[in-house]
Amino acid sequence: MNRTTDRRPEAVNRKPQVGMRPKGSKATGTPFQSVLPPSGFRFPVSWFASLALAFCLLVSGAGLLAAGEESNDKQIPAHPKEIAYPALDYQPPQAKEYRQVLDNGVVAFMVEDHNLPLINISLTIRSGAYLDPQGKEGLARMVGSVLRSGGTLKWSAEEFDEEADFLATNIFSFGGSTASGATLNTLAENLDQSLKMFFEMLRRPAFQEDRAELYKSQQLQQMERRNDRTSSIESREWGRLLRGSDHFTNRQPTKASIESITAEDLNAFHRQYYHPGNFILAISGDFESADLKQKLEAAFKDWPAGEKSPPVPDFDHTPQPGLYLVHKPDVNQGRISLGHLGIRRGNPDRFAIDMMNDVLGGSGFTSRITNRVRSDEGLAYSAGSRFTVGLHYPGQFRASFQSKSSTCAQAAQIILEEIGRIRSEKVSQEELDTVKTATIEVFPRRFSSAAAVAGTFANDELTERDPDYWQTYRDKVRAVSIEDVLRVARQYLDPDKLVILAVGNVDDMQAGHPDRPQYSFSKLPGGSRPATIPLPDPMTMKYPQQ
Amino acid sequence: MNRKVFALAALVFALWLPQLWAQQVQVEELVLENGFKLLLVPRQGDPNVAAGWVAKVGSANERPGITGISHLFEHMMFKGTHTIGASDVEENLRVMERMDEVKSQLFEEERELIRRLRLGEISDLKDPDNRSPRHQELLAEFEELTKKEAELLVKNEFDRIYTQGGGSSMNATTNQDFTLYFINVPSNKLELWFWMESDRLLNPVFREFYAERDVVYEERRLRTDSTPTGKFREQFESMFWTSHPYGWPVVGWPSDLDGITREEALDYYALNYAPNNLVACLVGDFEIDRAKELAQRYFMRLQRSKRDPEPVRTREVDQQAEKRMVAYAETNPEVEIRYHTVAAGHLDDPALTVTGALLSGRTGRLTKSLVLEQEVANRASAFQRGMKWAGYFGLGAVAKPGHDPKEVEEALYAELEKLKKEPVGERELQKVKNRFAANNFRRIENNFFLMIQLLIAEANGSWQSFNENPKRVQAVTAADVQRVSQKYFKPEQRAVALYYTKAAEGPEDPLLAGLSQEEKNMVNQIKSRVAQMPAERVQMMLSSLEAQGDSMPEPQRKMAPIIKKMLQERLEKLGKEGGQQ
Repeated sequence: MNRTTDRRPEAVNRKPQVGMRPKGSKATGTPFQSVLPPSGFRFPVSWFASLALAFCLLVSGAGLLAAGEESNDKQIPAHPKEIAYPALDYQPPQAKEYRQVLDNGVVAFMVEDHNLPLINISLTIRSGAYLDPQGKEGLARMVGSVLRSGGTLKWSAEEFDEEADFLATNIFSFGGSTASGATLNTLAENLDQSLKMFFEMLRRPAFQEDRAELYKSQQLQQMERRNDRTSSIESREWGRLLRGSDHFTNRQPTKASIESITAEDLNAFHRQYYHPGNFILAISGDFESADLKQKLEAAFKDWPAGEKSPPVPDFDHTPQPGLYLVHKPDVNQGRISLGHLGIRRGNPDRFAIDMMNDVLGGSGFTSRITNRVRSDEGLAYSAGSRFTVGLHYPGQFRASFQSKSSTCAQAAQIILEEIGRIRSEKVSQEELDTVKTATIEVFPRRFSSAAAVAGTFANDELTERDPDYWQTYRDKVRAVSIEDVLRVARQYLDPDKLVILAVGNVDDMQAGHPDRPQYSFSKLPGGSRPATIPLPDPMTMKYPQQ
Repeated sequence: MNRKVFALAALVFALWLPQLWAQQVQVEELVLENGFKLLLVPRQGDPNVAAGWVAKVGSANERPGITGISHLFEHMMFKGTHTIGASDVEENLRVMERMDEVKSQLFEEERELIRRLRLGEISDLKDPDNRSPRHQELLAEFEELTKKEAELLVKNEFDRIYTQGGGSSMNATTNQDFTLYFINVPSNKLELWFWMESDRLLNPVFREFYAERDVVYEERRLRTDSTPTGKFREQFESMFWTSHPYGWPVVGWPSDLDGITREEALDYYALNYAPNNLVACLVGDFEIDRAKELAQRYFMRLQRSKRDPEPVRTREVDQQAEKRMVAYAETNPEVEIRYHTVAAGHLDDPALTVTGALLSGRTGRLTKSLVLEQEVANRASAFQRGMKWAGYFGLGAVAKPGHDPKEVEEALYAELEKLKKEPVGERELQKVKNRFAANNFRRIENNFFLMIQLLIAEANGSWQSFNENPKRVQAVTAADVQRVSQKYFKPEQRAVALYYTKAAEGPEDPLLAGLSQEEKNMVNQIKSRVAQMPAERVQMMLSSLEAQGDSMPEPQRKMAPIIKKMLQERLEKLGKEGGQQ
C-alpha cells in the first residue's frame, strides 16, 4: 500500500544499515545495553559508562512535560527555507583504511562496529550465469543455491542446517548473473564455529542428491509460472529487445537444461570458479581486525587460488526501434516500457546524465514524468525513468509505468513529450538545483553503516573502480550545469531509437479511452506497424512461429 | 555430527542467553499536553535521523461506503498545506470548493447510472454513450477546473522541500490498524522534519483529490486486479473474517474508491489525526533536549480533539463451521489455511509465535516432513499474526507437481495433530529460542527499521512490548505450545483456500473435451504424476484399469480412456529412451 518511492534507484544504497561509528573514534555509550551485567560474555563498549548513561536516560525520561514549562518564545519560521541549519561536515570514508590483503592474496574490507555483538561476512565470488555452458543454463544459480542447502563432506545437509539454526547463525549463498556470493551473520560469541561451517560449505560442499533434486523440482515448478505475471513477461521481453536473445542475460534455463545438470556438473563448476582467486570479502561488526585476519588466513590455509574467471561478455545486438505488444487477456492494467541503450562506466558525462534523468523521471515526485503521469493525470501509481551505467555492457535508458488498459497510450504519449521537451529546452535552475542538492545531501547514506562501507568498497574492488571516485563524487555533481543537461539530453536520449513494449490486454490498450480519442497506440512511434510478441512455451522457451 | 560441539554450544547458550533477551532498547518517552507522544532513541553513528509517526487508524476503523479511505488519506498527506503546494492558496481553495460542488452533481449522475446498472438497463458505467448531456457538461467543467487547479499549484512542493533537504526513503504505509509516515533526514535537518510534519498535520490541503483517487485505483489494479492471485487473496481475506472489519481490503472496494469525497476525507482527518491519536519516533544522531524543545514548539500547535477516537466496536464472532474456497488461478497448486487465534499482546501470542517458528524455516517441521520426507510439497511455512484487535495463525504450502493440494492440506493437519499430542523436544524448542534471542540483536541494528518497529508496537498497544516480547517468547514452554495447539487448531476455527492451476490459454487438448473443470484438473494432476512414473508402475496402472473395466463408477469411467492414453504414451516414451541408452 506504499506510495511509490523508487526515487533514485542508482544512487541509493539499499543494503541494511547498522549504526556505524567512524573507524578510530572512541566508543561512547549507546542506549542499547543489557540491563544485567555480562557474564562469560564480552561486551563491546565500556559497560559501566553505558550503564550510567542508560540510567540517566531513564531518570530524565520523566514523561509528561506540561506545556508552558519551557518557554515557547522561539519563532516558527513561516516557510522551511527560513530555517537556519547547523553545518554538517561530512567526509566519506577511504577504502584504504579498511583494505586488508590476506596472505593468500584475497582482499578483505574490515569495518569494525562494536555496537552489537554481531559479525557479518559477505563474500563476493566472480561467478554467475554468464559462465553457464550452453545447454546447462541455470547451473551457476544452482551451484550458488545448493552450495548452502546441500550439506558438506563433513556434515550432511540435515546436520549442517540443524547446527546453523541451533547457533542462530545465518548462512546464505546465491548464484547471480555476473557475480555470486555467500554471507555469514553470526553472534560474535559463535564466530569460530560459524566460520568453520562457512568455510566447510565454501570448500567442501556435498551438493547432496535429495537437495539438488528438490532445487530442480522448485525451479521447474516456478518455470511453469513464467507467463503468469505481466511484470515477469515485461522484464523478460525488455531484456530480449535490448540485448538480443543470444546474450547470456536472456538465455533462460529450460526444463531440459535444468534436468541435464548432474552432480559432476555442480562439482566441476564449483572447482573451477569457487576458489580464493575469485573471492572478495566485506566484513563488518564486532571483531578485532588483526584477530579476524588471522582466523581467515587459517581458514583459507592450503586452499590454492585457481584461475580468475573470464570477463563478463558484452552483447552483439542492435535494438530495433518500434512498438512491441504482448497480449495477456485477463489483466485490466498494462505495463509499458520505453527506452534504448544507455552508457558504460567511465563515461565522463555520467553525472550530467544522472542529473538530467533525475529531472526527467528518476527522482520520484520531484521529476517531470512522475508529476505529469501520476500527479496531474492520475494515470499510474508508479511512473518514472532510469538511466543506467553498464559495467560489462551498455546500460539502458528506460521509462516505465503501469496504467489501466484504456489510458496506456495517453501516458506513453506524455512520456514522449517529456523526452522531447528535455531535449529541446533547458531545465530550470531550480529543477537542476533540487536534484543536485538532493544527490549531494543524500550522499552520506551510502556509507550509513559498517556493512554498507565494507560492501561499497568490496564492490569497488570487484569492479576496479577508481579509488578517488567517492572523494570527488559530490564535486562532480556540483559541476553539472543547465547547459550540460541539455547537451547530454540531446546526445544520449534518442526518440528515433525508442523501443516501446506494452504488456497487457492488447485489445483494450489499443481501443484507448472513449473520452480521449486523441491518444492512441497507432500514434506512437512504430504504432502503425506494431510487432506482436507471442508467449513462449515456459518450459522450453521456444516462441511459436508467427 | 560432532556431538561434542553440540553439547558445548548448548552450554554456551545456557550461560549467556539470559542477557541476550534482556537486551533492552532505552526509549525516552515524551507526552505533550495535547496528547502527542514522542519516542526518542538517540544513537551514535552516521549523521542521520530516522523519523516517523503513526496515526492509530487504519482500514479497520472504516465503514462500508468509505473502505479504502485510510489509505487514500495517506496519499493526500503528501499534497501540501496552506503554506506549501500552491502559488495562490486562497484561489486554490476556491477552485477546490467549486470542484467539490461539480463532483457532488456528478455523483447524482453517477448514482443514476448505478441504478440503471443494477436494473440491467446498462452494462458499463464508464461508457460515454450512457451519459446524459448534463453529465457530459459537468465532466467538461470538471476538466476545466482541474486545469485551473494545476496552474495554481507548486507541484509536489512538499516532496521537493524534503528532497532538497536531503530527505530520503520518504514514504508511508497503511494497514488495517495504523497509518505510518516515515523518512530519513540528515542530522542537521532535524528541525525541517518538525516543521514539515507539524505543518501537514495542522494545515493540510487535499489537492488533486480526485486524480489521486485514480492513482489509488491504479495501485489497486497493480497489486490486486492484475496479479495472478490478488483477487483470490482478497476474497480469502473477506471470507476469513465474518464480522470483523479486517475483512475488507485496505486498498478499498472498487465502488468505494469511485465514491469517496473530499468532505469525507476532512471528517476522517478531524477525528483520527488529532495529536491524541498520534505517536512519533526518532532514532539516530540527535540530542534529546533539542528534540524535546522542537517537539514543544512545533507539535504543541496541534489541538487535542474533544473526544478520543473510539476503539473498533465490532468484534469477530466465533466461527461455527469450516470455511473453504477452491480457486483456479494462474499459480502453482497450493494450500492456505488460517485459524482464528489471538491479537498482538495476548497471553497466548508468544506461544503461538514460537509454534510458527517450530514449523517454519530450513529445520522447521513442515520443511522436514512435507518437503524432505514425504515430498508432497516444495515449500511450506507457518506463522502467528497478532494484529491490534484480533489475530490468526496461518499455514501455507506449495504442492509438489503431481500432488493435489488436498493431500498437502492433510499433511499440514497431521503436523498440527502431532503438536497437540506430544510436547516438542527440549532441544528443538531451545533451537527456536536461540534464533529469537539472536534476532533480538539483528532487529535493532538498523535505525530506520527500529523506528518502524517501535511505532508499530505502539500502534498495536504500547512500544514497551518491543522490549517485553522477547522475554515472553523465552518463557514459552513445551506445555504452552501443546496447550495453544489444542486450543486453537480446531476445524471449525479455520478457513482453507485450495489453489489449482488454471488451464493454460490456447486450444484445448481434445482428450479433455466434455469434462468438467474439476475433472480436467484431476486429469492434469494425474498427467504430471504419470510423467514421473517408472515403467513398472505405469504397466501396473494400465492392467488395473483394464481389469476394472465396466465395474468402474460413472465419473471414473468417463476419464478412464484418457488416463489409459496417457499411460500408453508414457510407456512409449520410456521405451524410446530405453532404446537410446
